[in-house]
Amino acid sequence: MNLAAIYATLLVFPVLVGIVAFLIDGTSLRNHLVIGGSVVVGALAIATALAFGGSSSVFFGLPGGISLGESLIVVEIGLTVFTIAISLWNRRFLAPILAIAQLAISLYLELSGRMPEVDPQELFWFDGLSLVMLLIVGIIGPLICINAIGYMRAYHRASPQLKGRRNVFFGLLFIFLAGMFGLVASNYLPLMLVFWEVTTICSFLLIGYSRTDETIGYAFRALNMNLFGGVAFSAAIALLAGQPDGLDLAKLTSGPAGAALLPAIALLALAGIVKSAQMPFSSWLLGAMYAPSPTSALLHSSTMVKAGVFLLLRLSPAMAGSTVGYLVAFIGLLTFLFVSLVAGTESNTKKVLAYSTIGSLGLIGGCAGIGTPELVWAGVMIIIFHALAKSLLFLAVGTIENRLYTKNMENFDGLLSLMPRVSTVVLVGIAGMFIAPFGLVIAKWTAIRAFLQVPGAPGAFMVLILAFGSSLTIFYWGKLLIKILAGRRETDYERSIERRVSRYEWITEGTLAVGVLAATALVGPLSDNVVGPWALGALSATPRVFLAIDPAMLLLMLSAVFFLPALAAWSWRHPQYDLADFYASGRSATPGHVMGAALGGIHRVTLRNYYLEGVLNGSFVFNAGTVACGGLLAAMVVVGMVVR
Amino acid sequence: MSLFSRSPWILHYDGSSCNGCDIEVLACLTPLYDVERFGVINTGNPKHADILLVTGSVNERNIEIIGNLYRQMADPKVVVAVGACACSGGIFARAYNIQGGIDKVIPVDVYVPGCAARPESIIDGVVQGIAVLEEKRKKIA
Amino acid sequence: MTPGIYGVLFIVFAPLFGGLVAGLDRIITARMQSRVGPPLLQPFYDAGKLMQKDSRQINPVQEPLLLAHVLMMAATGGLLLGGTDIIFVTFMFALAALLLVLAAGSANSPYSFIGAERELIVLLASEPFFILMMAAICKVTSFSTFETVLGSNQMVALQLPGVAVAFLVVATIKLRKSPFDISMSHHPHQELVRGLTTDLSGRLLAYVEIAHWYEAALLAAFTVLLFNWNLALGLAVFAIAYLFEILVDNSSSRVRWQAVLYSAWGVTLVLCGGNVLALFMLGR
Repeated sequence: MNLAAIYATLLVFPVLVGIVAFLIDGTSLRNHLVIGGSVVVGALAIATALAFGGSSSVFFGLPGGISLGESLIVVEIGLTVFTIAISLWNRRFLAPILAIAQLAISLYLELSGRMPEVDPQELFWFDGLSLVMLLIVGIIGPLICINAIGYMRAYHRASPQLKGRRNVFFGLLFIFLAGMFGLVASNYLPLMLVFWEVTTICSFLLIGYSRTDETIGYAFRALNMNLFGGVAFSAAIALLAGQPDGLDLAKLTSGPAGAALLPAIALLALAGIVKSAQMPFSSWLLGAMYAPSPTSALLHSSTMVKAGVFLLLRLSPAMAGSTVGYLVAFIGLLTFLFVSLVAGTESNTKKVLAYSTIGSLGLIGGCAGIGTPELVWAGVMIIIFHALAKSLLFLAVGTIENRLYTKNMENFDGLLSLMPRVSTVVLVGIAGMFIAPFGLVIAKWTAIRAFLQVPGAPGAFMVLILAFGSSLTIFYWGKLLIKILAGRRETDYERSIERRVSRYEWITEGTLAVGVLAATALVGPLSDNVVGPWALGALSATPRVFLAIDPAMLLLMLSAVFFLPALAAWSWRHPQYDLADFYASGRSATPGHVMGAALGGIHRVTLRNYYLEGVLNGSFVFNAGTVACGGLLAAMVVVGMVVR
Repeated sequence: MSLFSRSPWILHYDGSSCNGCDIEVLACLTPLYDVERFGVINTGNPKHADILLVTGSVNERNIEIIGNLYRQMADPKVVVAVGACACSGGIFARAYNIQGGIDKVIPVDVYVPGCAARPESIIDGVVQGIAVLEEKRKKIA
Repeated sequence: MTPGIYGVLFIVFAPLFGGLVAGLDRIITARMQSRVGPPLLQPFYDAGKLMQKDSRQINPVQEPLLLAHVLMMAATGGLLLGGTDIIFVTFMFALAALLLVLAAGSANSPYSFIGAERELIVLLASEPFFILMMAAICKVTSFSTFETVLGSNQMVALQLPGVAVAFLVVATIKLRKSPFDISMSHHPHQELVRGLTTDLSGRLLAYVEIAHWYEAALLAAFTVLLFNWNLALGLAVFAIAYLFEILVDNSSSRVRWQAVLYSAWGVTLVLCGGNVLALFMLGR
């Protein structure tokens, strides 16, 4: 099978599906299109992976050897015009300025003839990392699209005042998928930039879906920040245009960057940091939480933000060991620390998921900045496991939110009784995020051991950050777990809530849960056959064992993997909260938390998690992190530009 | 000696007592008498306790409480009424608020008379309670 | 003998060790209070008795979670002695502690719930230290399993004095000793009644006790890792440290959870972190 041909189909097909979805007004017909389109996209992604097979690195161009010609600049002009139009229509002026700046750089390069000739056979680059990213986008993406059918139906039922524009929604989801497919395999940097900006615009439009004033504000915040990243990307291209092979990503990152390339590397890293919502750019991701949950699941946890750290991992061989690399690493690790602190003070579940996402991305950035084989291995493992678990969590929380009309985890009391099957998948997702021996913990463990090898004070600080950050993640996930497992005597009405969950949501969330479990069980083969070889190849390192698991550990892992879901499934059949009443100093108390009080009165008992009030102020910590990382970012750019 | 005799945990509840008997119960925990030698722990929690030591009598407010505490204790369990008020209401038996001794609400296994009951009597009562506990355990097993 | 045997030995004998430590604890505490105290084997009598009592729970998930808690504690120790990476062991240790939090919190009753929240704070307070301690030990000895660290010619405590002192503070928290016994305590009359274990009875309570014995044995193993000259020295230090804990327990009153967090993190950052920083900067 010809990789180039299949890949080209993979690129074009979702665009066609997206356009047709946009044009179809009838929900039922469109749903069939979405389902069919999703299945085909998934199949194409798997076919692409199979066509790649066991190779280590493949370069190819468009089928038939077509050259790009002027198509890139035409697309860029189109995107810029669209951005200007929609921004002006909403009376926003920063976005058009940024878009014009980006276009100006590209036009200048084109028209002044400074754009070097590009080898049409080296437009795309496929290796182990692209394979991982492609499969993540290609399998999780379609699942989310199918889930969105059920979710959007409930979403609009819950908010009847919103104008339904589901044709736009689904159209954008598919076009976004195409953008991501292009991004992860691009070798020619200007080509990658186009796909990069396509994802930016899709994200902007999806965040603003409900068209309330608040969401439009957040959408533009995301747009502005990501456009700023795009300007940095363009500036990097401008700097690289004068270098030999400067725009060939594979050649650019084949080894440590020379002094001439470091400024551009720093700017590219900046773009990656913005895209992955690391501090100081984290606020756009938090604002994006106001979008419908499938958007959060797809763009803002498993795929688009991963594009940012994907770029950082690509840049890793070039910046490892340099000051720029160290600064990128600290920006990432400090982001991880600060958002983990803030997450402990937050009760909005979606915000907690967002903070956790930013934290994991920061951790990957930390790994990419230092760039030893173990660390980039850990970074890719985090990408895989985080994408699976977090998309599952966002979808499941979306399902819950649509039926309980709340995002506050304080209201998730007794979710296990209320919505047992949904709780089961949520438990799998949460376990996948922080419980040993699920994948993320394996990755964190490897990262700590690798950071121990970093010499001097930076190494010490990295280990410190990881120690505190990991503990904080246990804290906030633990609170959510308590709430879900807490006992409750539900009414018949409440017990019926779960029956209204659509089959689209069941199928997709169930599949993702199985995916989390399978990935954990298969972490060994995954490491040995895909991630390990890629890490060694990218850094030209000596072979080594990445994952040292002995049989006892393996046994423990497998039993731990299945414990929580098994516990949840077991509890479906046992009535909750029927067995004994709780001790209330002898007072009569009911499990509905009504207690007798003195003199015949009654008390209503409310049990609330600790949010570290009086210890941490969430917004203060967030702002402190923004300032600190902002400073480091400025330093990174300066160092990249100035210091040789 | 079975395990129950070696590890009798008590829950001490004070009904409407003058606190005289309570102080004597607490005295048992002090170095002078030191009931922890016998494995006795004064837990504050009915779910952990084997022996319910009640001082003071029953009034309208604590009928419910005593009943709940007794109910929340895990089997096997015994009740020891300490002091005259717990046994029968004592000198307050005909007061307007006093319903009577503890046996008006829950079944009592051992009565320890006295006003206030002396620590030696209380310990003796607990030991007899342990014997009753043993019998109950055998019946359950 | 292969390390695996040591792991199995731990799983079998650690409860004995922990129970005896608990028994000695009560006797010494009693002597400090001019009392005689219970027999040495009292904790075993207690656990045995509890097994025969009626076990009621509020939420059916509590029993599986508690069983998992005990098994996980046992497994953590077994893996530690059996040759698993010591940093990984701290993650398992955290998971084991979390299971107790979930078991108590799932009761959704006032005292248990607050006990669970406070235990979560305890976990938050102590976990950074344990990760750092194990990481530092790996750095000093360049080994990462129990046996190899013991066999190393680097005397860990000499190079990590800050870590050792911090360990004393964090151990007070983990052993549930005053002033840090915010989530449950063996003393009567608590502000949270029995905290975590308030709504447990019978064998469920016994599981918590047995898990606590495993935990004590684990902490002894951690002490041996720090004072890795030989096993006897490590255990002797553990004994002395435990005596100190009993003294502190008897002479202090409980502090608020915020103070626990500040103390633990303060000590971890300054003493432990400072030590680690020095270690890295001295170029080990």
